Amino acid sequence: MLDALDYSAIFLTFKLAGLTTVILLIISPPLAWWLARSKRFYRPFVEALVALPLVLPPTVLGFYLLISFSPDSLFGGLWMSLTGGTLAFSFSGLLIASIIYSLPFVVQPLQSAFVNLDKDYLEVASTLGFNSTETFYRVVFPMVLPSFIIAGALGFAHTIGEFGVVLMIGGNIPGETQVLSIALFDHVETLQYEQAHVLSFSLLAFSMALLMFIYGVLQKRQKRLSNA
Amino acid sequence: MLEFDLIKHESEQLLFHFQGALQLKGVCTVFGDSGAGKTSLIRAFAGLDNSFSGKLNFKQCQWQSQSSFIKTEKRRIGMVFQEPRLFPHLNALGNLQLACKKAPKSLYTIDELAELLDFSSLLDKKSHQLSGGQKQRIAIARAILTDPQLLIMDEPLSSLDQHSRKLLLPFIKTVSKRIPIIYITHSMPEVFYLSRQMILIDQGRVEAIGEPQTLFLNPKLSLAKHAHSGLLLNVDSVSWDKEYSLLHGLVDNQEIILAIDTQPGETRLQIKVESKDVIIAAQRLSGSSLQNCLQVSIEQIESLSAGSVLLTLSTGKQKLLAKITLKSLKELNLQLRQTVFAYIKAVSILGESL
Repeated sequence: MLDALDYSAIFLTFKLAGLTTVILLIISPPLAWWLARSKRFYRPFVEALVALPLVLPPTVLGFYLLISFSPDSLFGGLWMSLTGGTLAFSFSGLLIASIIYSLPFVVQPLQSAFVNLDKDYLEVASTLGFNSTETFYRVVFPMVLPSFIIAGALGFAHTIGEFGVVLMIGGNIPGETQVLSIALFDHVETLQYEQAHVLSFSLLAFSMALLMFIYGVLQKRQKRLSNA
Repeated sequence: MLEFDLIKHESEQLLFHFQGALQLKGVCTVFGDSGAGKTSLIRAFAGLDNSFSGKLNFKQCQWQSQSSFIKTEKRRIGMVFQEPRLFPHLNALGNLQLACKKAPKSLYTIDELAELLDFSSLLDKKSHQLSGGQKQRIAIARAILTDPQLLIMDEPLSSLDQHSRKLLLPFIKTVSKRIPIIYITHSMPEVFYLSRQMILIDQGRVEAIGEPQTLFLNPKLSLAKHAHSGLLLNVDSVSWDKEYSLLHGLVDNQEIILAIDTQPGETRLQIKVESKDVIIAAQRLSGSSLQNCLQVSIEQIESLSAGSVLLTLSTGKQKLLAKITLKSLKELNLQLRQTVFAYIKAVSILGESL
């Protein structure tokens, strides 16, 4: 039913989502911590910037990314001189776009967990002799572990569902930028409904399973909080 | 020695000004009204509140000065908060092990503490499965395991059951022989049991530092103004009258009768007599329901506000406070060193030696 191109699209999608999630789980915690604790006047600006992909049509985001990826632009030019390649229509470009696109989905659960984290526990940690880094990985991280799982899963799921941004900046190059959602679009365009059905249903089932997992963790977290 | 001169302003108003020096030996209790600033003082000591300015020296170490501030984690203090604050994601053992991370050795091991504080069977329990008393015992163990050079405790026993209290008070006293302790409390018996040094906080200031008995006897201090002010008396029990449920005891060889339902196990009891519950008479009264009368001499007469005076009375070795009106003082023509009769309306029995 599915052909080699479909399998390569599935593989590419998971690779993209996996890498995006890993990178997001590295950069989001410090950002979320800063957003949760900072009293700087420009914090709302940064917060809005992070949340933009939630409200902006993906095509708008894609358009600006496409412009900045061009070798004539500052960012694209810098990338060109460093790596010798262009970002537009490449996997690297797709990865950068996905990170920006899924950022709020990872930052926001973490931020709300950090906001709700009782300052009392941080005080205890400092009386146990932990500096802020030690406090983070010995106390904060284990305490809000469920939120990390939710954040990672949401980032992953959201990247898999990406369409508009990819279409704008990645196009449809099999093996390089042709992800699941684009492959599906192709099948429908060419009236290959059987393959479209298989791909759609697989994605539907996978998304459902992932969301059930997320809400299962959420429920556990709720219980943990009410017990604390 | 812990020397401090710490100031905190809030919206241009002076909120706290704590100044003084404490001996770092045994337990130093911090006493004062609610809202007087006791917790603020110890939070400044611990470095948990960096909005204080001024200086703070612990032994040779400068913990805080105009230009420097040593963070809490560098001060090596153990802290027991009013609430236990156990980490909810860890069990009791996990909480204790976390405390050992930065302190490879301490006064006691986890097992020894579990034995001493009676929580061996609770080590695998999570915070929400434990009672308040159990949690606080583990929180105290956690603070000791950090091998602190100073232990700070904020009313650690205020919400605890009798079992936990009885277990913890002697233990805290033992620990204080090795680690100096600063201890906030509202309980007079705790002050007298634990400490030889007390710091009295009133309205955001250190009012006095000294021996508890001396401070409680000083009518010039804020302690005397409260309705609940009073002193503890030691009573040696003599016999217990089953028919009337009364205990006959002695205060400096004078008889006193206390209403107690069951025969006490101890031969020495502590009672608290509040200054408003003492009536002064020039002669023995007859035909009254008052049971307890002590012959005392007037040692000091101090006028309080609003037409009342505070008398310090001596039974010989022990002292007692009486609050009477200025009018009574004049009409009875009371003088210093005069012998009078102190009738005691009510006492609270504080139990054995605590």
